[in-house]
Amino acid sequence: MNLVEVEFTLNGERQKVIVPPRTTLLEVIREHLGLTGTKKGCGKGECGACTVLLDGEAVLACLTLISQAEGHAVTTIEGLAKGEQLDPLQEAFIEEGAIQCGYCTPGMILSAKALLRKNPSPTQEEIKTAIAGNLCRCTGYVKIIKAVQKAGRRSAEVAAHD
Amino acid sequence: MTEFKWVGKVVPRVDGVEKATGRLRYLTDVGLPGLLHGRIKRSQYPHALIKGIDTSRAEALPGVVKVLTHKDVPGVNGFGIIVPDQPVFCREKVRYIGDAVAGVVAEDPAVAEAALDLIEVEYEPQPVVDDAEKAMTSDSPRVHEKGNIHQEVHVRHGDVEAGFAQADLIIENVYKTPRQMHTFLETEGGLAFYDEEGLLNVWVGSQYPQRDQLQIARVLGLNPRKIRVVSSPTGGGFGGKDEITIQTQLALMAFVTKRPVKLWLSREESVISGWKRHPMTLYYRTGFKRDGSLVANEIKIIGDTGAYASLGGPVVSLAVESSCGPYRIPHVKIDGFCVYTNNGVAGAFRGFGVPQSTFAMETQLEIAREKLVLDPIEIRKKNVLRRGDIAPLGHTMTASVGILNTLERAEKSDLWCQREKLKSQTPFPWKKRGVGVAIALQGTGLGVGIPDYGAAIVELTEEGQFIVRIGSPEIGQGNMTAYAITAAEALGCDLALIKVVTGDTRNSPDSGTSTASRSAYTGGNAILDAVAKLKPKLLAVAGEMLGVDRAGLRLAGNRIVSPQGRGITLAELGRYLREKGLEAGARGNFVWPTADVQIPGAEGLPHLVYTYVTQMALVEVDTLTGKVELREAATALDAGRVLNRQGLEGQAEGGMVMGAGYALMEDIIIEKGYFKTMNLSTYIIPTSLDLPERHQVELVEVLEESGPYGAKGAGEAVMVPISPAITSAIHDAVGVRLKEMPAAAERVYQGLRGEEHGQ
Repeated sequence: MNLVEVEFTLNGERQKVIVPPRTTLLEVIREHLGLTGTKKGCGKGECGACTVLLDGEAVLACLTLISQAEGHAVTTIEGLAKGEQLDPLQEAFIEEGAIQCGYCTPGMILSAKALLRKNPSPTQEEIKTAIAGNLCRCTGYVKIIKAVQKAGRRSAEVAAHD
Repeated sequence: MTEFKWVGKVVPRVDGVEKATGRLRYLTDVGLPGLLHGRIKRSQYPHALIKGIDTSRAEALPGVVKVLTHKDVPGVNGFGIIVPDQPVFCREKVRYIGDAVAGVVAEDPAVAEAALDLIEVEYEPQPVVDDAEKAMTSDSPRVHEKGNIHQEVHVRHGDVEAGFAQADLIIENVYKTPRQMHTFLETEGGLAFYDEEGLLNVWVGSQYPQRDQLQIARVLGLNPRKIRVVSSPTGGGFGGKDEITIQTQLALMAFVTKRPVKLWLSREESVISGWKRHPMTLYYRTGFKRDGSLVANEIKIIGDTGAYASLGGPVVSLAVESSCGPYRIPHVKIDGFCVYTNNGVAGAFRGFGVPQSTFAMETQLEIAREKLVLDPIEIRKKNVLRRGDIAPLGHTMTASVGILNTLERAEKSDLWCQREKLKSQTPFPWKKRGVGVAIALQGTGLGVGIPDYGAAIVELTEEGQFIVRIGSPEIGQGNMTAYAITAAEALGCDLALIKVVTGDTRNSPDSGTSTASRSAYTGGNAILDAVAKLKPKLLAVAGEMLGVDRAGLRLAGNRIVSPQGRGITLAELGRYLREKGLEAGARGNFVWPTADVQIPGAEGLPHLVYTYVTQMALVEVDTLTGKVELREAATALDAGRVLNRQGLEGQAEGGMVMGAGYALMEDIIIEKGYFKTMNLSTYIIPTSLDLPERHQVELVEVLEESGPYGAKGAGEAVMVPISPAITSAIHDAVGVRLKEMPAAAERVYQGLRGEEHGQ
């Protein structure tokens, strides 16, 4: 069978996989490497549940062929916390009650992470736009938006102290 | 006022960290060595006779372990909560396009997929029954041999003709509601395997593990005790995982192959095979006095349940129960029909029939109000039920009734107080704004005549933690957190010491289903019963250990302390109990109170405890395109005592958006039995960009004495009246009165042009 060899970093660790070329980044993350924090809600780029970061940009892992990750840095929800120290976004999602069933949460947090990296103090409209591709059926988004704003403020405070 | 330590406070979800870090394993995330992969061969036609099934080519494909058909079902080839009329694998007939005809188990998912195409099924297509009303006629082709009317409900109270004789105004209309999809983010899936004890494990996210266990047992002809069902955590349910989804087919795959099997539906497969909200046609004739008082209501409701019954009968019954809204109406005649068609399948969905009839009733009221030139709040205040009233179904409202309180609170909302100013702030002259208000009641629990009970086990561990076990699964609604709050409050310990286990037939007792806005109320009451039994025992043993009288002892934080300040830790107590072989836990039970009358032939009618809600909407209508945007919303909710403040707000916020989606955009379109909306690009649900700028949520705490700390349910009511509030706001903005949802741009545009509101 025709296989490709792809090297990339996943949450800071080098990975090499040898897989059929049609394999998606989502399949590699979930099935080959066993990291199930990245969710699958449709497999067609319609729901946003599989959002991961590729060099800091939010991408849909279900629409990303594994070869597109060659030489790049992939971050999944498992790579966000530093040990037991949660990312400000994770903390804010918990504090603000932005999580219900939680299935959209990893993708939602990573879309927000990509936003905050470029724009640490986004407006409500900017947050809404950044997460517009991440469907959530439980929360009505209100507390998610508040959580992103709070995380942005907190990151800015931390940065000011550094 | 009672001071609480945990009840009503803002606390983090007990499963928050696991969910925020991605550590939580949903049941579709679990893998096992040697896992096989299952796939389902679904029908090619919405209605056809099966003339033959040839699986030989599929079986010959390398990598295929087993191909399953109806022949492989050892027990009853059927499932269904009320009547098991849905085949696990169809034998002689298919009744909808999602019907399962065969299953494949293979070493590899791609092989399983390829094998599906090699299964040859010979069909003889039958006329498609695609209109529920036509299906009721005697000359209609039959979906089931017994006829197309699955269930009828008839309510007669008062004398409806005498009521209409008193009326100064009679409003008569027909309403139609869309087929909404739950759209849980995690599609139906999981795995089945035999464990080392020989139990058949079925791990599939659902809303009631014990009932799944019984349904699987019936299909396999197996003692239920030989089956363990794990159904929590679940990536969203909303009613769509109350009935069996894939469990019987998956269990059969593992039962036959004796190997672990995974089955996980694609989104498209989930759409065509899964449950939906019943589309309904509602005929209303409503009589009013000149002062706005309601005197009579004659209603006929037809619900399209699709190919199989599931909970269609009770859904239509609840539509009937709520068809008069939360109003006093002395004379009613209500008929409900649950009808089979070949239009997919419909079943339980948050609101359970109530959104459909609330849309109709609230629109009737608005039409009358306009003609009688009455204020929308005043006409409702005049008619709403109060405690002690006789409800339209004839039962006495003996539990708490907070609908008036919610109206009074909503009337003070910013949206309502500033409505004239808000309406005037249109950015362009072709955009018009309007406001609307609507109210609803939602029965909680399963209602009279259906066993409705709860159970909880609370036990102290050697680590000094309390484990709370309740079967009703966590499906995202937050019942685990509500349970932890209730237990910590009752025990008097730290919230962090409570660990909650739900959704596992082996490790949590049957406490009924996570539906009907019932799980916090039911489980909460069972916890209180368990704690009432456990706590005195713990204090007595602690007294022994400390050599003091138990009377002055109390639980504080992680310790039991005496008035003199002496104490032991809960861990010390837990270890002591274990060492002495003493009971460290207690089981609590609860049985729902029920209404004083019963409607014959309608399981569950009526209810006794209701949740009440008022919702308001400010919309902006683009008169050039018909597009409607929800700009502001307000919710005033009476769910009794607030247990988990943030969780309840989250329910209200999420429910409102789901109801707005129902009003504005959501409809699964089925033509001649075939789905036209197959995925999330064609079936559109609200995104962050569809949110109003503001949604004011007011929690009105009218205490319900039968509830834990006075709490009632909340999960469903919060999505109900926003839809008619939105359609009334559209009328206020541009004068278009919609009697059919959703208020999609085309429909509103046709209304603006004075055309009939087309299909």
